Amino acid sequence: MIVVKHASKSFGATRAVNDLSFALQPGHMTGLLGPNGAGKTTTIRMIAGYLTPDAGSITLAGHPVQATRNADPNAAKRNLGYLPESAPLYPELKPAQYLDYRAKLFGLPRKERRAAVARVLDRCRLTDMAHKRIGVLSKGYRQRVGLAAAIVHDPPVLILDEPTNGLDPAQMRSTRALIAELAEQRTVLLCTHVIPEVERACARVLVIAAGRLVADGPPDEVGRRAPAIHLETTAPPQSETHPDPLPGAITHALGPQTALAPLPAEHQGWVRLAVTPDPAFKGDPQASIARVLAEHARPVRHLAPAAAPLEERIVDLIDRAATGEEAQA
Amino acid sequence: MTPLLAIAGRELGSMFRTPVGWVVTALYALLTAVLFTLQTIDPGAPATLRYFFTPAAWLLMIVAPALSMRLFSEEYKAGTIEPLATAPVGPMTIVLGKYLGALASVVAMLVPTLAYPVVLAFLADAPLDAGAIASGYLGLLMVAMLYLAVGALVSTTTDSQVLAFLATLIALVLVMLAAGPASRFAPLLLLPLLAELNIQGRAAAFAAGVLETRHAVFFLAFSGAMLACAYASLAVREGR
Repeated sequence: MIVVKHASKSFGATRAVNDLSFALQPGHMTGLLGPNGAGKTTTIRMIAGYLTPDAGSITLAGHPVQATRNADPNAAKRNLGYLPESAPLYPELKPAQYLDYRAKLFGLPRKERRAAVARVLDRCRLTDMAHKRIGVLSKGYRQRVGLAAAIVHDPPVLILDEPTNGLDPAQMRSTRALIAELAEQRTVLLCTHVIPEVERACARVLVIAAGRLVADGPPDEVGRRAPAIHLETTAPPQSETHPDPLPGAITHALGPQTALAPLPAEHQGWVRLAVTPDPAFKGDPQASIARVLAEHARPVRHLAPAAAPLEERIVDLIDRAATGEEAQA
Repeated sequence: MTPLLAIAGRELGSMFRTPVGWVVTALYALLTAVLFTLQTIDPGAPATLRYFFTPAAWLLMIVAPALSMRLFSEEYKAGTIEPLATAPVGPMTIVLGKYLGALASVVAMLVPTLAYPVVLAFLADAPLDAGAIASGYLGLLMVAMLYLAVGALVSTTTDSQVLAFLATLIALVLVMLAAGPASRFAPLLLLPLLAELNIQGRAAAFAAGVLETRHAVFFLAFSGAMLACAYASLAVREGR
C-alpha cells in the first residue's frame, strides 16, 4: 500500500531523511517511532505528498505521490487519509461544515457526502458537537474532528501524526480505541512518541533515528533484542593495575558480542549496568549473570529483565545512531 | 469543479464567520455612504453615480488587501495548508478557489451600495443611465479583481497577515505613484509603459460609463499574471 524507495530529504545542510526504504502491506497498523528531529514527520509529509523527496520515490496504493510527466499525484492522494500533528482545523467552522468541506475536496457527490459526514460524526462520537464551533471544542474533540476529516472519504490508507498528543488519559484511551477500530480494515501508519501505544496496537514497528531506518519488525521482536538485563551491584575499588573483573566475566559467560552499558547510579556505592547478551547466546542470561556475581562474591541489589524492552531497545538504537554505530535491526 | 467551489465557498463563508469580513464590509458601506451623500446628492447637479464610483475604486486599495491578506498567510500560520495541500487538489485549484472566494466577498460587500442608485433614482427628476451604472460597477469589480490578485500573490509568500496587508498596500501605492506623480522622474522611454499602469484612470473610464475593451483586457491580463505568479509561488512551496 505504501512503498518508500531510497527516499532522502534535506533542509539546507541538514539531512532530515537519509536513504529510507520500506513497504507497508494492506490491513496492518505500523508504528513509526523515533526521537524528536529523527525525521518521522518529514517522512510522513513526503508520503502524504506535502514535501517532495530530493531523491528516491514513494508510491501510495500503486500511484506515485510526486507529480511526474505521466503521473497525477491526486490519484495517490485520493487513497490517503492524513491527520497532521496537532490536527490543524478552521476554528470558525463547525465539525459538520468542516467534514462536508473535506468531503467536497475529495470529490464526493452530494448524496454520498451527507451519508459520509453523518457516518464519521457517529463513528468518532462527534454527533453532539456537530454544530458547535470548532474553536470552542476541547483538544480531545478537535483531535477527533481531525480524525473524522481524515476518514470522511473512507480511504484505504491512514497516516496519523501524534494522534494522542496533548490528550488527557481518558481522551487518549478513547482515541486509541477509535484508531484500533479504524485499523481493522485499513493500512495505518501511526507516528508517535508513545511506545506502549505502538506495543499494544501495532503489528509492526519502524524506528527512525538521525533520518535512517534503524529497526523494522514486530514490536516484540524488536524489543527482544533489548538490553535484556538490568543489574545493580556494588562498585569495586577502582585501580589501574586491577580493573574490575566483573564485565569481563559477564562477557565470558554470555558471549563475545555481549554489550555492557552503564546506567545512572541510584544509590551511593552501587553501580547499575544494562547487559545485552550476545545474540548467539542460548540459555537464561539472568541465571548466568547471577552465577558470575556469586563466583565474584559481589552483592546484588537488583537483577531483572528491563521493564520496557521495546523502549530500551529504541533508546539503545537512538544512542547507536547518534554515535554513528551501525545498528542491527 | 466541486473542490474549486468548495474552497471558494469556505473562503467566502469564513470571511463572514470572522469579524474581519463584517468590519471591512461595514467600513466600506459607511465610507461609500458618506461619499454618496457628499458627492452625488447635490440639488441641481446631473443624476449620476460617476462621482461615487471613482472614490469607491480608491477605497478598494485598502479594502482589497484587508480581504486578501488572510488567503494563504492564515493557512500557513494555522497549519491548515497541510491537510489542504494533501487533499487531491492541485495548487491551481487552491489559488483559483481562494481567489474566487475573495472576489465573491467583494461582490457581497458591494451589494449594500446598490441602495445608492435606488435612492438617486427616487430623488432625480430624469431617469438614470442604467448602462453607466452597470459600467461603474463593472469597473469596481475589475479593480477589485486586480487588487485581490496582487494580494493573493503576496499572501502566498508569508505567514504573517499584517505583513501581507502592508506589502500589498505598499505595492499598490507604488504602482499608483509610478503611473502618476512619480512618472515625471522616469526616463522618457518608460513613460508609455507607466501610463498603461494607470489603474485609477482606467477605473474612472468605467465610472464615466465608457466601456473600452483595452481597459478590460488590461485588468484581466494583469490579474491573470498575478494569479499565475501566485500559483508558481504556491507550487514551489508545495514542491519543497
